[in-house]
Amino acid sequence: MTTQQRFDDRHIIARYTDQPTQLPNTLRAAVSEDGGAASRILAYAMADLDERLSFAQSWLVLSGSHVVVASGDGSDTRSWRRVPHGDVGKVDLTTGLSCHVLRVCSRNGDGEPLIELRFTHRQRRSMEGLAFLLEQLEKGLALQTRDADEAYVESVAQPIREAQALVSTRQLAVVWRLLDYLKPYKIRVICGMSAASLVTLLALVPPFLTGHLVDHVIRPVQDGQLRATAVVHVAWLAVVGIAVVQAVSKLCIWLRLRLLAVVGELVARDLRDELFAHLQLLSMSFFSRKKTGSLITRVSSDTDRIWEFLAFGVVEVSLALVSLLGLSIVLVSLDLRLGLVMAVPVPLMCLAIHYHGNGMQRMFTRVWRKWSRLTDVLSDSIPGMRVVKAFNQGPREQGRFSERNADVVSEFNRVHASWTGFWPALMLALEVTILCVWVLALPRLLGTSSAFGPALSLGKFVSFLLYTTMFIYPVELLGQVARVMHRATSSAQRVFEVLDTQPEVVDQPNPVRIETLRGEVEFERVTFAYDGIRQVIKDLSFKVHPGELIGLVGPSGGGKTTLINLLTRFYDVTGGSISIDGVDLRRLEGGHYREQVGIVLQEPYLFQGSVLENIRYGAPSASFDEVIAAARVANAHDFISRLPHGYDTVVGERGHTLSGGERQRVSIARAVLKNPRILILDEATSSVDTETERKIQEAMDRLVTGRTVFAIAHRLSTLRKASRLLVIQDGNLVEHGTHAELLANPNGVYTKLHRLQQELHEAA
Amino acid sequence: MTRRFANPPGSTCSSAPAPAAQASAAKNPPLAEPEPAPLSLEKRRDGRLWALLAERAAPVKLRRCFPWTFPERYISLQTDDNVELAFVSDPNDLSPASRVALAQALSEAGFVFVIQGVHSVKEDFELRCFEVETPQGRRAFQTALDAWPRETPDGGLLIEDVAGDVFRIEDPTTLDERSRELLWELVD
Repeated sequence: MTTQQRFDDRHIIARYTDQPTQLPNTLRAAVSEDGGAASRILAYAMADLDERLSFAQSWLVLSGSHVVVASGDGSDTRSWRRVPHGDVGKVDLTTGLSCHVLRVCSRNGDGEPLIELRFTHRQRRSMEGLAFLLEQLEKGLALQTRDADEAYVESVAQPIREAQALVSTRQLAVVWRLLDYLKPYKIRVICGMSAASLVTLLALVPPFLTGHLVDHVIRPVQDGQLRATAVVHVAWLAVVGIAVVQAVSKLCIWLRLRLLAVVGELVARDLRDELFAHLQLLSMSFFSRKKTGSLITRVSSDTDRIWEFLAFGVVEVSLALVSLLGLSIVLVSLDLRLGLVMAVPVPLMCLAIHYHGNGMQRMFTRVWRKWSRLTDVLSDSIPGMRVVKAFNQGPREQGRFSERNADVVSEFNRVHASWTGFWPALMLALEVTILCVWVLALPRLLGTSSAFGPALSLGKFVSFLLYTTMFIYPVELLGQVARVMHRATSSAQRVFEVLDTQPEVVDQPNPVRIETLRGEVEFERVTFAYDGIRQVIKDLSFKVHPGELIGLVGPSGGGKTTLINLLTRFYDVTGGSISIDGVDLRRLEGGHYREQVGIVLQEPYLFQGSVLENIRYGAPSASFDEVIAAARVANAHDFISRLPHGYDTVVGERGHTLSGGERQRVSIARAVLKNPRILILDEATSSVDTETERKIQEAMDRLVTGRTVFAIAHRLSTLRKASRLLVIQDGNLVEHGTHAELLANPNGVYTKLHRLQQELHEAA
Repeated sequence: MTRRFANPPGSTCSSAPAPAAQASAAKNPPLAEPEPAPLSLEKRRDGRLWALLAERAAPVKLRRCFPWTFPERYISLQTDDNVELAFVSDPNDLSPASRVALAQALSEAGFVFVIQGVHSVKEDFELRCFEVETPQGRRAFQTALDAWPRETPDGGLLIEDVAGDVFRIEDPTTLDERSRELLWELVD
């Protein structure tokens, strides 16, 4: 965990919870007062409920010599409970809906728990980590700990952090970061913004020219003060001026739209490229935490929203503000009294738009909620149509859908009632303001009263009226500011969350490349914990020689798949080492190493594309002959050649659907073509019928020849040709040997598994 | 009534015995099905609830089968290996002492925060942040923006926060006006 992430976790706890961000200093000092290793704080957690299920604050601290329970800030040491490590017995963690109980009993087993703490889900991760350490203590095992403060803040903040894209108190910071992506295109941006600014300025010219024309040409001619022939050229000049201004203005609009729309697309493209490239670098632990749909949305729709914001939102909003300000200044300078009548209500209108926007946001939240309920019915019933029909529940589903559909419509109608009422009312307010201008201006125009101010020329008033109509558009635009900003910054945050995540598995500087692996693999005292504390693999050691077929067996959840994840370097070990041909795996260049490792998974994944493309996935330059040869080895050529378009048949959701066994054989062909030195088979025949299993088994028998193979299988019959079997249980290597050697132990784990499978087979 | 499985897995039952079997049954009336062993529950010194069934005693964890639809009944008592040791379909069938022990254990196992009032509901980027009043005091919690409250059959609402803690509104209509207003977009 980086320093920045640690800061963020503390910030999360401080911002979103009422609990301390670390162990109180008084307690920390008192526990570690001796300063030696025995008093070093190894881990701690907070319990936030008491025995009456009221809020409380108790700390459970594991030091080098004791387990300490203290309440509050720990200053009242009389309330402490100190338990030496040697007294720690059975640890029991009982879970409930929102109250969990941790009990630590005495080693001498006199019954009453030494420690009994109650806590909510919020503390559960840190408590579970501590409970695991106490269990290790009870078993006399060495404790593997991390920095206690880091472990605490990470475990408390993690659920909030995972639900929250990025913790930031400043939406503006996200906007600035987004605008940074405009830098490579600054020439275009400057030109586009200049064009947009020119449009805004030019828009002010026609009303001025019109007013000037009225006051200095048309009125004097009509009053007989000037001869028409003397000023007709001025009049036509003014008209031409208006026409030129309009033409230039439209040209600038075209330029602005063209440039900024393209810039928006380029920025969105850059973001998508950067995001997808960064995703390729991230470790598997990131993908296991994030939902696939959420990541896909970030690359697709979130970048699209950012385009919309950059191409239009930024410019429109800034120009709207500039327009309103500029118009207010022009109006006030034209005529102070009338200008104030127009300018003063503008901030009030903006405020009204802001509050209306807030109200609309709440309504949209209701709409969103109701819409989610409606789409829930769709996502349930359409994929499950076979079940709906089989149970004749079509009318019920129809009823459910109609009810929710009606619910959604009523919410939408509420929204429509609101905005269709607000905007006309706002426009009415604007018109009333203009009416006020008329009311104040008329006496001055007609010269009937000087109480409202000095006389007002017709031309000036006409300019004034034309300027007031220009208020409408920027006011409407500002109404959409909050929504556009909110959507864009939410999207930007989701994108930046991925970009800011650092991969956990990285190559060292100057990594080693082994051009052709021999396939020797050695695990030396390997330990691994996904969360850094609870070990899933415990002190595993074994050596595999090149060309051996190793069977990995054992109960579910024992650590077999984790072992495979470590071997493929999806994760790095937390202790010990894995060597490939004598070189520590962490020193190898990851990408080059994985090119020589092949995997056939339990659920084979085929990409959207042709069968040819799928088989060639790991070896894009393989020839057609090589592809067909690989398919033959995989027992796949026969069915592929019978497909409608043979190897060019498109498979995947929008293409031809292959059966499970067919997909598995294509997956094997893919692995064959890659010609890996180390091959991993993860329960490759677990979900197919017997005949298909036979074909797949034949294919795999050919595939494994001459390679080092690790095969996980629950069906022990599939490992009959294994050189050796490794029996993994609870992260430990409990047995190893050949099939015959393991069966020779009547009480062994392997023997029991084998017997159980035989009994099931016979019963069937 | 407490229950243990009478038929082992894999055994078959038929609703109408064959004629030969009927004749046999008339001659040899079937043995009466044995009474289920009585279950008693007690809280022991280790702080845990223990189930005593026939000659077996073990600490058990409680799992309500229908925590929101029918919370008073159908409680599974499971060992630490998550194997069901006993099943209480109706606590009234237990002895008074066992009922008390069960109720105490259930209050802890079924503890959720009850929302008595809402102080604020705000959106903070991807989170919806609540500040509520509970019998335990004020509590702040967060949910994802699309984590909507769930209705329970008794008309109540459940909100689960990002950590997994459960907050319950027993009857939204009895909340004060401000609380109802703050929850407006989340509650029908």
